[in-house]
Amino acid sequence: MSPHQGDAQHVVSRLMRESLMDKALIAGTESPVRAILPALNVIQIGGLSIMDRGHTSVLPLLDEIVGNQHEYMQVIGVGPGVRARHILSVGLDLGLPTGALATLAAKSSAQNAYMVSCLLASHGFVYLEAPFIVQLLPAMLAAARGAVFNGIPPYDLWEHPPAIGKIPPHGSDAGAYLVGEVFGARAIILVKDVDGLYTADPKTDPHATFIPEISAAELVRMKLPTLPIEAVVLDLLMRAKLARSVRIVNGLVPGNLSRALAGESVGTLIHA
Amino acid sequence: MPDGTENGLLTDLGRRLVSGSLSDAAIQQATEATPNLAILPWVNVVKIGGQSIMDRGRYAVWPVVDEIVANLSRHKMILGTGAGTRARHVYSLAIDLGLPVGVLTVLGTAVAWQNAQMLQYLLAKHGIAFLEPNEFASLPHYLMERGAVICQGMPPYKLWEANPRVGRIPPQRTDTGCFLIAEVFGARKMIYVKDEDGLFTADPKKDPGAAHIPRISVQELLARDLNDLVVERAVLDLMLSARHIREIQFVNGLKPGQLTAALDGEPVGTVIYNAAVRPETPAA
Repeated sequence: MSPHQGDAQHVVSRLMRESLMDKALIAGTESPVRAILPALNVIQIGGLSIMDRGHTSVLPLLDEIVGNQHEYMQVIGVGPGVRARHILSVGLDLGLPTGALATLAAKSSAQNAYMVSCLLASHGFVYLEAPFIVQLLPAMLAAARGAVFNGIPPYDLWEHPPAIGKIPPHGSDAGAYLVGEVFGARAIILVKDVDGLYTADPKTDPHATFIPEISAAELVRMKLPTLPIEAVVLDLLMRAKLARSVRIVNGLVPGNLSRALAGESVGTLIHA
Repeated sequence: MPDGTENGLLTDLGRRLVSGSLSDAAIQQATEATPNLAILPWVNVVKIGGQSIMDRGRYAVWPVVDEIVANLSRHKMILGTGAGTRARHVYSLAIDLGLPVGVLTVLGTAVAWQNAQMLQYLLAKHGIAFLEPNEFASLPHYLMERGAVICQGMPPYKLWEANPRVGRIPPQRTDTGCFLIAEVFGARKMIYVKDEDGLFTADPKKDPGAAHIPRISVQELLARDLNDLVVERAVLDLMLSARHIREIQFVNGLKPGQLTAALDGEPVGTVIYNAAVRPETPAA
């Protein structure tokens, strides 16, 4: 017989014996969160929008990152691009579930992140897989004021099946946001090939107007047919504790990233 | 946008995926029409509770282990573990220190991992292996050879765990992690082994008038918006969008035979089922 006659052997704590599903208990845990790396800037380089264009788009942007290395601490997330679209196509055709698709797509962004780290290697940036982001990021930032990570979060087989369809909902926008939120980053900048957010697609609708700043809740209410950002990021922003905004900038325009790092209102700011 | 592929090799959906926006609702809808492959349709995912089973020590754990062993030749099982009281302690401490939810997930994962290791020591002589999330590609082999594998129940989200809507506790813990394993493999059953006979109208540990609910739809359960639940709320939300897992079952691990009955398809404990009908998709 166990000494406790079958009672659980508890460690004394405020949450001892309690149900973690209890609403009152959950609400009782609300309290301030400390920013672990408040000087960090998270920069997400788009896969399809920047990487797949090759050196004409990528190298000027990396030069700009290096130009800001002295002043700003930057961790660079990279998106997967067209190879992920291709494996989504083949995987969906084979009947694979969302978790399998997410695992496969994350290898494409890992390739892109590794290429970016090679191009930034002479400046001390290394590519960190998720376990090393957990353990080594502060050391890498102290050494080189920068590092590179896989934009797609490490959800792998545990990726959520979405409400509609099977495309993994957490892509590199979500991954970059979550890294910014957990470290309490100073800024999260998503570098893409559009100037930001419009009321409609400016390529097809001449009446599309530019939106320089908007709240996530308002953007959800607008129900735009397509967004230049993953929808799940809007949901995450509405639950933000520390990272209360993300900025979308056009990385094909030199100087935009530097302006965003300096806090200027360039592109579109989406806030909590 | 540059078009980096030879479009002639792609399906119609593939052409849209390569050139379109993944946030386009029409493209998302189009992926519904693809087949749903059940990767391991014969596997059962069994979650062994942390506070409810593991923390009770041998009084609770040994009979559950005996029941698992007795079922090894009858049912294939992925055994995931919960965290329990040490997670509650480390969550309390980390919240007090001002640490974010992603850090709490890293800490809680370590507790579920400890419980998985202990369970594995008890099952080791039956040839049962423990697998980390990144070793899951070997899982089918172990299941075919030995009938079961052990994993820690937390999803491997680490620092990437999303904030809860309210409070500071990670919303996606071991109930969610095990559910997502069952869903991605298209498992036969998702069974949660806890220390109650399932779901009650109130907490039976505190309210003697609480009535047992043998079967309820996830839609009705969500509509009731109960103050407390037998399962993480994230699981209920995910049930609504799951392709494979239509129901989950909760059994009392302190009552010998309930796990076996659930594995055999009997309606013991509580079953939460999805009442919505999904449109037919071609079988893979």
